Amino acid sequence: MGRLLQLLLRNGGFVTLVFVELFCFMLIVRYNTSQAVIWANTTDIFGGRFLERRQRVSDYFSLQERADSLAAVVDSLQERLAFARYVQVPVRDTFYRVTYDSITGSDSLRRKHVRPLYEHVSARVIENSVTGVNNWLLLNRGKNDRIEPHTAVITPNGVVGIVRHVSDNFSIVMSVLHSQTKITASVQGTGAFGSLEWDGKNPDVMSLRNISKHFKDKIVPGARVVTSGYSLMFPKDIPIGVVEAAPAEDSENPHFLVVRVRLGQSMSDVTDVSVVRNLFSPEIDSLKSKIKR
Amino acid sequence: MNSSLSPNMLRFLGLILGQCLLLKQAVQSVGSAYFNVLLYPVFILLLPAQLAAPYLVLLGFAAGISVDMFYQTPGVHASTGAFAGFMRGPVFMAFAPKGGFNAKDPIFAPQYVSWQTFLSVSGVFFFLYLFWYHSVEAFTFVYFTSIVLKTLSSWAVTMIFVILYAALFNPKQ
Repeated sequence: MGRLLQLLLRNGGFVTLVFVELFCFMLIVRYNTSQAVIWANTTDIFGGRFLERRQRVSDYFSLQERADSLAAVVDSLQERLAFARYVQVPVRDTFYRVTYDSITGSDSLRRKHVRPLYEHVSARVIENSVTGVNNWLLLNRGKNDRIEPHTAVITPNGVVGIVRHVSDNFSIVMSVLHSQTKITASVQGTGAFGSLEWDGKNPDVMSLRNISKHFKDKIVPGARVVTSGYSLMFPKDIPIGVVEAAPAEDSENPHFLVVRVRLGQSMSDVTDVSVVRNLFSPEIDSLKSKIKR
Repeated sequence: MNSSLSPNMLRFLGLILGQCLLLKQAVQSVGSAYFNVLLYPVFILLLPAQLAAPYLVLLGFAAGISVDMFYQTPGVHASTGAFAGFMRGPVFMAFAPKGGFNAKDPIFAPQYVSWQTFLSVSGVFFFLYLFWYHSVEAFTFVYFTSIVLKTLSSWAVTMIFVILYAALFNPKQ
């Protein structure tokens, strides 16, 4: 205690004052009612603000983790949605009772499980272009993540493109904004379907071509455009966008209509995507090759 | 310094007792909500001129905590007393004549530094002291206007007592 006092005296009045004032402050807030109440309220206010800010900082640093977690949830939901759309053809008996499930090879009345058709893999876009006639994206997932060429890339808002080249850890995606893009899409609720293509101009608008003329009155602006399901790559009913204007006669092919489609997913603002892999793609390709021969 | 010990101790006891037994009762009977008369800091003001700042802070604290025991405000006067001890030196330096005060002067009393200097120094000293005291008493600057008004009213009354004290007792050491 004596040494402490000597230290205080040697280092001048200011240090002594600081220590004495701290001691006095403790006495004041401990033994004086009005000051104690004010101090308690002040610490409550500032303590609350501090805790709130700390929570915000903590939330900010855990955003990546939460985004990954949400992406996994989206993938899981999309897979379940894809399974739900998977049409099973059960064999029914004379009384219309299901006796055998053609897909699972089991009695679907007793065994309800379905065989997965699509697998979704979360990925992040690390490079993207929208200004050229042929645009590409680079994803941070590759062979090591079970990604293969000719798989679809989508977001919850729309389609992004098709994987073309794959390395161990990365993959190159042909954007929907590419001159060679042709995705079979349909106008929901009308039965009209056609080929979605990009004319290389507006990156927010694509053209749905080869629509039969008798759909002219059924297709109205604002109608939802989705994937048709007539493709091994894209699951059915994945949103693409909305019809921007009434269908017009296609100048390149006057026997058909063309519809301008405003994309739901802005291609200049795409970060998190899902790569959709059809688990039966090799089997179906192999089967189709027999027809080609 | 030993020769100044006795008068300072007497001044300490006299001012503390005068503050707590007379002035406290007097102020409470008039209305302590508007002003306060705090004369005991004269003890800090009249401590030996050559005393180092840390001693002044500690002696100011001692005087303040003694008053706190009577006022039942632990820490409030102690904090103010310590602050007064710390800023006594800077206030004197601000009013020092060219070349500084005479090093042979035992204390800063009108006897040595003239009445004008004494009043200027004690005026600023007590204003700062009372502002600190009312700030600590309110413990929030939400009532800043009230703090300033109380400081001014207390300062006006306290200064009368300071002048009376200096004139009546005419301290020499």
